[in-house]
Amino acid sequence: MSAAALLEAAPSGRLPFAGRTRARRSMARTAFRSLVAHQVSFLFGLLATAFAVLSMLYLWRAVLANGPLHGFDWPHMRAYLLVTFVAGSLVSSYVDYRMAGRILQGDVAMDLVRPVGYQDARFAEALGFGVYELGTGLLVAAVAALAFGGVPGPAPGELGAFVVSALLVMPLRFGIVYMSGLVVFWTQNYIGVQAGRIALVTLCSGALVPIAFFPGWAQDVLTYLPFAGMASTPALVYVGHLAGAEAWRAVAVQAFWVVGLWLLGRALWGAASRQLTVHGG
Amino acid sequence: MRCVSLIEVAQLRKVFRRADKKPGLAGSVRHLVERRFVDKVAVDDIDLRVEAGEAVAYVGPNGAGKSTTVKMLTGVLVPTSGTVHVEGRVPHKDRIANARRVGVVFGQRTQLWWDLPVRDSLELLRDMHGLSDADYRRNLERLDATLGLAELLPVTARKLSLGQRMRADLAAALVHTPPIVFLDEPTIGLDIAVKDRVRAFVRELVAEGTTVMLTTHDLGDIEDICRRLVIIDQGRIVYDGDIGTVVETYARERTMHFSVAEAPASLAGIAARLPDAAVAEGPSDAQLDVTFDPAVVSSARVLAAVQAEADVVDLRIDEPAIEDVVRRVYAGELGAGGMQ
Repeated sequence: MSAAALLEAAPSGRLPFAGRTRARRSMARTAFRSLVAHQVSFLFGLLATAFAVLSMLYLWRAVLANGPLHGFDWPHMRAYLLVTFVAGSLVSSYVDYRMAGRILQGDVAMDLVRPVGYQDARFAEALGFGVYELGTGLLVAAVAALAFGGVPGPAPGELGAFVVSALLVMPLRFGIVYMSGLVVFWTQNYIGVQAGRIALVTLCSGALVPIAFFPGWAQDVLTYLPFAGMASTPALVYVGHLAGAEAWRAVAVQAFWVVGLWLLGRALWGAASRQLTVHGG
Repeated sequence: MRCVSLIEVAQLRKVFRRADKKPGLAGSVRHLVERRFVDKVAVDDIDLRVEAGEAVAYVGPNGAGKSTTVKMLTGVLVPTSGTVHVEGRVPHKDRIANARRVGVVFGQRTQLWWDLPVRDSLELLRDMHGLSDADYRRNLERLDATLGLAELLPVTARKLSLGQRMRADLAAALVHTPPIVFLDEPTIGLDIAVKDRVRAFVRELVAEGTTVMLTTHDLGDIEDICRRLVIIDQGRIVYDGDIGTVVETYARERTMHFSVAEAPASLAGIAARLPDAAVAEGPSDAQLDVTFDPAVVSSARVLAAVQAEADVVDLRIDEPAIEDVVRRVYAGELGAGGMQ
């Protein structure tokens, strides 16, 4: 093949849909592989999450020793905690850690010379990391469930709502993590932003304390904020505290925020990319 | 809008805002409450046209604005003002379409996934660019022939030496056979053997008709590859023209640095023997420098002249660096004839 023909063959424009799907799958697979490459880190991560979930379970067993509170008995609280734990392990910190690091180091320039949308690519990577996070999360949760005498199954009749709600957790968490990662364009430091983001999400998503334990006004507010959908909503549907139309309404709030945070993230990127400074090389 | 040239840059300007902090902890704390910024003009209203198939050397000292220009041509940075068109597209507005047509190497950064074998990174790029397996394999074979890629494919990127990493990064940037290639300091930090290999590879690209814009410090890169030279300094283009003219005029001079056993009483004796060279005192008494044009005075004659007057202990030869050329051009020595 002649050189001229080769040059001519280089295409332009965006890839067709099938090609974009293949690119996304490839990005997700690559992200997943990059985590699997570190087995020792994997084991330590497993250990750390195991301790986190054990301490939550012991704490709540003590709290509920004298009987149910706010509609939670001990077996349902176990189920609630384990579902929020698995939800909370999704899009935990790989995405923003990597993003912020690359932005601060200027390696984001390499992300931008690739023919993929920035947010799109980060989401695809988050899915790849997510498979890994879901795997470890489920493993730890299953072992913890066995150690504490099992958990009740999902509320009958709410299985559909639970599955949809669980599927929305990942894109929802991605939305907030992506935006917090972009904040480094302005702050030039990420440790504080990440700590703040984790504290905010942990508290407001009901992963630390179920939202039912909060004062009434806080419950009203949190129902409509995006955070509940990141842990509390699927867990409440699972244990049956949200049922029927109420469950679907909560799922609708999740879906609304998935779209809303994606659009907000896109707008934030638009502002951030003008802010971009890459010094040297 | 249809543009005439492949790359068209007009009145392009990029200003960075940088925090103006006083030194020390006090300065940092003060900056928290009283935020002050200074504007740094990285690229200052430049105009540039590159035709298809041209090989352009884009040079200048550190911080001159070279990389910033390349980053605006690839859509990484958004210009403060002015216009950029690459094949008629505005890179930062049409970044993805532009990225499919250009290949970029930033010598100090890598496209490779650090924890994965080179092969995985290349396969990811294959999918991002939507290459068929047949095209991908054929391109890899081409790249393997000049870059020796095959031996690198199974190696985890973090374990590559700098030279190997650069070869892998060149492959990553070119796996989709882009018709336009931006190479930003592709030989930085490489040893001579790898440099030669990279240069041979880039020469081949140019011969195939690829438009190449090469940013570098290294005069060797330029002479080997490009015919056109654009010099940028402090964000402004100070020279744009034929490379031969500049090299012949300004890059011919060599400087020999001598260490002598005993400081000569006067340099006049040496100077008298070398009327066509400049003899100067070195940094210490027992050192002296002779600057000459090898086409007029041979190195051997310089050495003989100095040895006749002093007892030479050691000597070192400085090849002309592009920085010298840039400095002299900037100092106005080249004159308006070379200006755009």
